[in-house]
Amino acid sequence: MLLCDFHIHTKYSDGSVELRRTVDLYGQAGFDVIAITDHVVNGDNTIGRLARRFRFSVREDNFDEYISRVREEGERAMHKYGMLVVPGVEISKNHLSSDKSAHILLLDIKEFIPASWTYEKIFLAAKEQGALIVACHPHQMSDMSRNTLFLWNNRDKYARHIDAWEIANRDDVFNVISLKKYPYIANSDFHKTRHLYSWKTLLNCEKDIDSIKQCIRHNKGVAITLFRN
Amino acid sequence: MEIFWIFAVITILGLAGYGLQILAVCSYTSTSPLNSGEGNALPRFFPTISILKPLKGLDDNLFDNLESFCNQEYPEYEIIFPLQDHNDQAYKVARKIKEKYPDKDISIVVERCDEGLNPKVNNLIPAYKIAKYQHILISDSNVMVDRNYLRDIAAPMSAPGVGLVSNLIRGTGGRSIGSVFENLHMNSFVISSVCFLDKFLKMPCVVGKSMLMRQDDLEAIGGLKAFKDVLAEDYMIGKLMHEHGKKVVLSSHIIENVNHYWGLRKFINRHTRWGKLRWKIGGLKYLSELLGNAVFMSSLPIVLWEPSKLTVSFALLVCLLKISGDYYVGRRVASDLNPFLYFLAPVKDLMIGLMWFVPLMSNTVVWRGNRYLIGKDSVLSPYHGDSLCAWRCKVADAIKTRNGVRQYQHL
Repeated sequence: MLLCDFHIHTKYSDGSVELRRTVDLYGQAGFDVIAITDHVVNGDNTIGRLARRFRFSVREDNFDEYISRVREEGERAMHKYGMLVVPGVEISKNHLSSDKSAHILLLDIKEFIPASWTYEKIFLAAKEQGALIVACHPHQMSDMSRNTLFLWNNRDKYARHIDAWEIANRDDVFNVISLKKYPYIANSDFHKTRHLYSWKTLLNCEKDIDSIKQCIRHNKGVAITLFRN
Repeated sequence: MEIFWIFAVITILGLAGYGLQILAVCSYTSTSPLNSGEGNALPRFFPTISILKPLKGLDDNLFDNLESFCNQEYPEYEIIFPLQDHNDQAYKVARKIKEKYPDKDISIVVERCDEGLNPKVNNLIPAYKIAKYQHILISDSNVMVDRNYLRDIAAPMSAPGVGLVSNLIRGTGGRSIGSVFENLHMNSFVISSVCFLDKFLKMPCVVGKSMLMRQDDLEAIGGLKAFKDVLAEDYMIGKLMHEHGKKVVLSSHIIENVNHYWGLRKFINRHTRWGKLRWKIGGLKYLSELLGNAVFMSSLPIVLWEPSKLTVSFALLVCLLKISGDYYVGRRVASDLNPFLYFLAPVKDLMIGLMWFVPLMSNTVVWRGNRYLIGKDSVLSPYHGDSLCAWRCKVADAIKTRNGVRQYQHL
C-alpha cells in the first residue's frame, strides 16, 4: 500500500515550513506519495485580498515558478526517497460565512486557475487539465473557524464534478462522506511539522500519477490510517 | 552575604571543572580523524561487522540516518534492522532503504520479544541471534555517520585487550526550541563530561548510540539478556567490560545525533529520565552535577539572598563565561548551531538545574505507557502502584489525563 498525503502547505502560502524541508520531512518518514497544495485565494473580497497582500497565496505571477519548484523537488524526492511529489493547489474561496466558503484541492494541475472563478468554471478548467478534484474539509470541524461548508451544503449540485471528498482532515473525521458513499481520501492539511502525525490515505496501486488518480476516482483499493509515532 | 560567598566559591569551582572538561574535549578533538584528517594514520583493521540498528518509531532524519550506514567505505559488513512489529512507522523507512540498496547486506527482522523490561534490549535480542559476524556494532536509529565511521571505529579493536569502542556524540539539527536545547546540552555537558571522565578519571562512560564489541566479550559478561531489565544498558555494558579487564575505548570520531523538531517536553522528559539513571548509578556523585552547574549555582544567591547589583552582575558574568565556553566547545566539535543560539545556554542550564531535583523525588519512569520502578544501577522492576510513592504517581497520572482531556476539549 502507498502511504500518501495529498494536502500539504508550504511557505508558498500559509505553511510554516519551506518546500524543500517539507519534502524532506515526508521523505524521511517513508511516505510514498505527497501532493504540495498551497492556497490559491480568491481576490474578490476583503479576506482574499488580505491573504494575497500578505502573500498567503500562490498568485498568477508566481504560479509557474511554484509549479517548477515543486517539480524540481519531485525529481529530487523520487531519486532520494523513491517518493512521488504531485503538484497541486488548494483553491480557497473564503467568505465570512462558513456556509459560503469552500476549499478544493486540484491535484496534478498544470496551469493557473483563479479562485475567483465560478465553481463550474473551476471544475471545467481542472478537468481539461486532467487534474483530480477533491473537496477539502467539507463538514463541521473541531476548529469551527476553519469550517468550509459550501460544497457539502450544495452537494446535489456539485458532487458529480468532484472526484473525491476528504473523509478525514488532520484530526477530524467526517462520517457523512462515508454515509453518502462518496469516494474519499484522508489528509493532514499540513501547515506545521506536528501535522505530520494525522490522518493519511493508503492506496493499493502503482506509484505513478495516472494510477493514483484512477485509484482515487474509482475508490478501489483506498484506505485511511491515523499516522502516529 | 555569607550565602553569596558560599555560592560564589561553588560557582568558581564549577567553572574550573568546566575548564577541565573543555581541556578534555580539546584533547579528543585535536586527534579527531573527522576534524584533522588523521583517519589515514589509524591502523588498517577491517573485521567483518554486524550492525544492529534497533528501530522504534520515527526519529528526526531517520531515512538519512539509516542511509548513512549503507554508504560506508568498508569491505564487509551487514546491517540488521530489528523492529517489534510491522505497524511501526520505521518499518516502511527500513523497507525503502533496503530497496534503495539491493546490493547491500541488509536484513529487517520483525519479531516481538518480551524478554525483559528494556524495550531497546528486547528489540536487539532477535537481531543479535541472527548476527553473522563476531564483531557487533549496536547503533541507535537517531545517529548519522560519515563514510569513514566503520573504518575509524574498527581500528582501535586491533589493539590487544580492547573490548568495546564507543564514540563522541554531537547534537545537530535544531529547528525547534526543544532541539536547540538538546543540541546545546549534547555539545556542552554531555560531550565534555564523557571526555572528562575518560581522560582524567579513566572511567568508561559508554553512550549506547554507538558501541562496537565482540560477541565473545559480550557473552563473557552475560550477553544481551543480562541487561534486559537495565535502563542504562549501555553504561552497564561498558562498566562490566571494564571490570572484566577489557579496555573500553572512546574513539575521537564524532558521530551526529540529529534532532530537528523536538518539543520542550521531549527535552525535559529525556533529561529527567537520564537524571534518574545517573542518580541511581552514581549515588552521591550525582550531587557534583548540580554543584558543577555554574549558571544555576550563580543564580541561587539572587533567589536565596537578594537581587543586588553584586549578585546579578556575578550571575551575568558567569552566564557570559558559560556561553563562551559552550561556544568554544561547539566550535571544537564542529557544531552546526547558529552562534546566537548559544545565548540560550544559560536558560537551558537553569532548566537542567531545576530538573536535577526530579530524580530525588521520583524513582519511576514511564516507558511506552508503562510505569517502571528504577532500582540500583538502573535495574527496572514493574510498578504495581502499591508502594509508598503510589499516591504521587497517581496524582501525576491524573494531572496528565486531565491535561489530555483539556487538550481534547480545546480541539
